[in-house]
Amino acid sequence: MFLRRFGVTGTIFTFFFIAQEALVSQLTFPAGGFSIFLILTLLWAAISTPEVAAAVGFGAGLLLDLSPSTSGPLGHWTLILVLMCYAIAFLSYGDENMRGNPLSLILMVTLAQVIVLVSYLITGFLLGNIATSFAQTLITVIGSGFWTLVVTPLMLPAVIWLHDQAFDSRMRI
Amino acid sequence: MRNGGENRSRLLLVILIVSALFLITLDLRGVNVIDGLRSGTQTALSPFQRAGNVVLTPVKNFVNDITHLGRTRNQIEDLRRQNQKLREQLILRKNQDGEIEQLKSILDLAGTASFKIVSAKVIAQGSSLAFTRTITIDAGSGNGIKKNMTVISGNGLVGVVKEVFANSSIVMLATDPAFRVGVRIAGSQQIGILAGLGSSSANLQLLDNQTTIKVGDILLARGSVNSQPFVPGVPVGRVTSVSNAAGAVTQSATVRYFANFGSLGIVSVVVKAPKADPRDALAPVKPVPTPIPTVTVFVTPTPSTSASSN
Repeated sequence: MFLRRFGVTGTIFTFFFIAQEALVSQLTFPAGGFSIFLILTLLWAAISTPEVAAAVGFGAGLLLDLSPSTSGPLGHWTLILVLMCYAIAFLSYGDENMRGNPLSLILMVTLAQVIVLVSYLITGFLLGNIATSFAQTLITVIGSGFWTLVVTPLMLPAVIWLHDQAFDSRMRI
Repeated sequence: MRNGGENRSRLLLVILIVSALFLITLDLRGVNVIDGLRSGTQTALSPFQRAGNVVLTPVKNFVNDITHLGRTRNQIEDLRRQNQKLREQLILRKNQDGEIEQLKSILDLAGTASFKIVSAKVIAQGSSLAFTRTITIDAGSGNGIKKNMTVISGNGLVGVVKEVFANSSIVMLATDPAFRVGVRIAGSQQIGILAGLGSSSANLQLLDNQTTIKVGDILLARGSVNSQPFVPGVPVGRVTSVSNAAGAVTQSATVRYFANFGSLGIVSVVVKAPKADPRDALAPVKPVPTPIPTVTVFVTPTPSTSASSN
């Protein structure tokens, strides 16, 4: 059972990672764009248990760290996503008002995305990454939040369906 | 059970955080394995990226065109405006070049004859529907122009001032059917009356039946009393055909004006004539035909082969 879940989840995340790197990253959107891989990770965490969310965050972070476009050290994204995914799952776990309401999920994922980016920037600065200008950073973060708010509702049904397939659960949203 | 679950999840979280920090430490210490992992990921991703690029290129081009539509349109508009401006400048420049050329030839003519002139720009042409040939110039009484003054261009006589206003004047062109000017033939000094025909040609009527004219003769203005309306010596035209009608008292001829009435831009009004008559000094030099070289080819016959064989 564990191996099946692990295999299905790994395949889904790998597919989204490739789609992000091969397709979405190549498109230029105003004010920074979005990451379907990050949205998938945060949504998955939001509808999972804290343990699964932390593990998913670790795996997703590792994949993002391995991305050639990542400038930070290996483990940077891993650290951020482990913490954020666990936090999302911890906050929403057992709260059906949160998990059963798509609007809450969308807002939570959007907020989490912004926090992830800001955390990544701050920790990156602490780890010695070169920061861009404040104005540009602000535009990118706000733009990313906007695009996440737009894209998450489109991805939500597909992600929930995939989650149900992977964990043999029946979520009702 | 719940506490056990929470402890387990916290333990898992700690392990994962420590693992992440461990990876960061390894990377910051410059472990080669990390770089190898990234290059391996890139190698694995590159076919997908290439395929994605192939698929997305038309989409990107389309989106790029859409997003740059306004900018492109603005650029096109800017270039159109610049192009229009440059065209206008070019036309203006050509026009100015033409005017300068005309002015130069007028000054040459007036300088040779010692005319005192006032140059003016042609600002309007009279309607041909009025059956008169007139132009309006931008110089008037304020510039010292008076009625019945001679108007010339660089090529010769243009007409005579008919109406004078403060800042403009109306000139009757020599092509006007009502235009008459006394002329003399350069060289022979025979005199006659030239009358406008409404076109670039005019009719010459000689006054003396003992004299003859021929094609190519040059006509100059004979001059009026007190040089008004015509100053003496101004080139008028060239005889293009002579009529020897039987029974005619005097000879008549068709004359083509020197002035090009179709492209009058700058003209000059002679406000003061010279004290001495310039006589034939202003007559244009007759064109000298350029000799055509004749090529002579000498052909030497060679004996045919059949003849040599015999």
